[in-house]
Amino acid sequence: MNILWSEARALWRARTLVWVLTRREVASRHSGTALGIVWPYLQPLLTVAAYYLVFDVVFGMRLGEQAPTRAVGAYLVVGALPWMAFCDAVQRGMTSLIDAGSLLHKNPLPPVLFTSRSVLASFSIYGPLLLLVAVAYIPAHGLKPAILALLPLLLLQMLLCMVLGYALAILAAALRDVAQLVGFLLSVGIYLSPILFPIQLFPQAWRWVLWLNPMTGLVMGYQQVLLQGQWPQWSVWCATLVWVCALSVVLNALVARSRDQLVDWL
Amino acid sequence: MSTKNSPNTPSVVPDTVLSVAGVAKEYKLYPTPRARLRALLTGKATHRSHWALSDVSFELRRGECIGVIGDNGAGKSTLLKLLAGTLQPSHGRIDRVGRVTAILELGAGFHPDFSGRDNLYFAGSLIGINHDEMARLEPEIIDFCELGEALDRPVKTYSSGMTVRLAFALVTAVQPDVLIIDEALAVGDQNFQKKCVERITAFRNSGCTILFCSHSPYHIRHLCDRALWLKGGRVEQFGNTEAVLAAYDVHTRAREAAAEGDAPGGPVPAVTEGAGAGHPPDGSMADQSRHFAAPKAASDGGSACILSVDVAHLNDAVGDQPPVLQGHDLVVTIRARGRGMERPNIGFMIEQSKGVGITSLATHEDGAVPVQLDDGTWQSVLTFPDLPLHSGDYVISAFLFDETGLAVYDQWFQFLHFRFIFPKPLPGLVRLPHRWS
Repeated sequence: MNILWSEARALWRARTLVWVLTRREVASRHSGTALGIVWPYLQPLLTVAAYYLVFDVVFGMRLGEQAPTRAVGAYLVVGALPWMAFCDAVQRGMTSLIDAGSLLHKNPLPPVLFTSRSVLASFSIYGPLLLLVAVAYIPAHGLKPAILALLPLLLLQMLLCMVLGYALAILAAALRDVAQLVGFLLSVGIYLSPILFPIQLFPQAWRWVLWLNPMTGLVMGYQQVLLQGQWPQWSVWCATLVWVCALSVVLNALVARSRDQLVDWL
Repeated sequence: MSTKNSPNTPSVVPDTVLSVAGVAKEYKLYPTPRARLRALLTGKATHRSHWALSDVSFELRRGECIGVIGDNGAGKSTLLKLLAGTLQPSHGRIDRVGRVTAILELGAGFHPDFSGRDNLYFAGSLIGINHDEMARLEPEIIDFCELGEALDRPVKTYSSGMTVRLAFALVTAVQPDVLIIDEALAVGDQNFQKKCVERITAFRNSGCTILFCSHSPYHIRHLCDRALWLKGGRVEQFGNTEAVLAAYDVHTRAREAAAEGDAPGGPVPAVTEGAGAGHPPDGSMADQSRHFAAPKAASDGGSACILSVDVAHLNDAVGDQPPVLQGHDLVVTIRARGRGMERPNIGFMIEQSKGVGITSLATHEDGAVPVQLDDGTWQSVLTFPDLPLHSGDYVISAFLFDETGLAVYDQWFQFLHFRFIFPKPLPGLVRLPHRWS
């Protein structure tokens, strides 16, 4: 893991530059628009607002007995928003190196900065939105101390996205098809998670499949904190940490094998 | 990370700002990107190796100016990228002291939707100029790039020249300890090119080490103390500029001769048609005139250029044969338009039609000055009394320089072939000054 450690140190040394890059990335997502900075926040916000309107206000759909909450819309929003954050961060992280190719060719900068800025930019948009949702849930679900667990959950998700995004960025640099494949996996991944349906609704024999999705643990964590006011179960932390560790090992090997030629592939 | 800036590395003596030791760069060539992914996942080597550089070692001291020459594919760009730090060497180490600035491709970091000023601050942070420092440097950069109001418009509305000006002003805003230039002098308009050359010269005079890669032996000769000749990824020669350039010239001519030997033989046309602006028009060949004039369009523009070159006493060419010089004197009249009030310099070169260069001359080297005519153009008449050449076919080129002799405004390269007949039947090329006793 020495290599990952040196990457982390390079990232820390260049933290002011990462901050500039991140602010710039956020700004470039709405450059030339009249509403400006509102747009990146507005799009996910409107999507979850639509879930709430359609499922809870218009149709008033209800989940079964075992679900953590009865309202379908409220249930959906808690899982879908972190999932959208995950997809956004992973996808942008994955293309970050290819997009920054010309910059990396001309400037002696560590590639890891560019993956980090994409993931950080993504979280600077979705992080506040998730906290906003948490505040919006207080009237219906009460304010419990467990809400403090949101912060470690968010940090863990960011770490997961950073590691996964960087690994995919290297693979995508080697073979562009990776980006297409991952795009497909992310679009079907929502069905392999307890976002649309509570895990209790999945057949007992097939529940293990859900754990192949790195976000399953985190989604359940958010649901437990926001809907039930409970501290996340140990399985949430374990599953996510196992994913982060496994991906770190893979990433370490990928960086070691590609570091002296990565820029040539961009 | 052996290429990080290391001010305290003990292996580097204080005077040395850049030390390259046993550096090699391998490019791994995979048959397909799929093989690349497979190698990445399995760790097995399935690539062919291409060693762009092998065993390159040299040291640069403070204030030196080094020219890098070599054929295409000799590894020049790879070397510059390694020194700039955008590529990592496969073997060996590079130690650098202080700030290294590379002018590899200008304007690469700019975002088209943001304003020039915004891009200035962003691109500055990429090369290690923070916000406060940039605020301090900004007036000077704006002054240098001459963008004025345009600085607050999005970069996508800029012409390529404007982008390059902004980028050059930015990267050279802070004087580096080592400046790496990759053929970047040929940017922008003449006025800006001159400013670039002046700024680089100023850096050099105040102790900046410059590494300069160019195909132009002229610039290397004028700017550089030493030259590095790369051949097939190795250092072929490194040392005194003239010696290395001479050796490289021999190599280039040998290579060209070999290439010509392979090609089907045929008579050399009387006047070769070269590419490039300001070349004599085809019509002047048809009527076999000895007077060459620039195309009308070129002389209408405002930029400095060679207007005409007259060679006296040339008879008309017959068939494929070049025109023959009548008499013993070669008298060449070169007329050029300068830039503004500046007094330009004029250069001249004569070579064998198929073979070696004989001599090149320039007004600034000889302490001569072109004469300004009534219409504001400049003229030099160059006379070789009793032309000291043996019989043969020769080719001449004309050049127009700026006042300092550093920027080349215009060139008519090998634009006129002629034949000279020396009445005595002795073999040889030139008749050297000599004395019998």
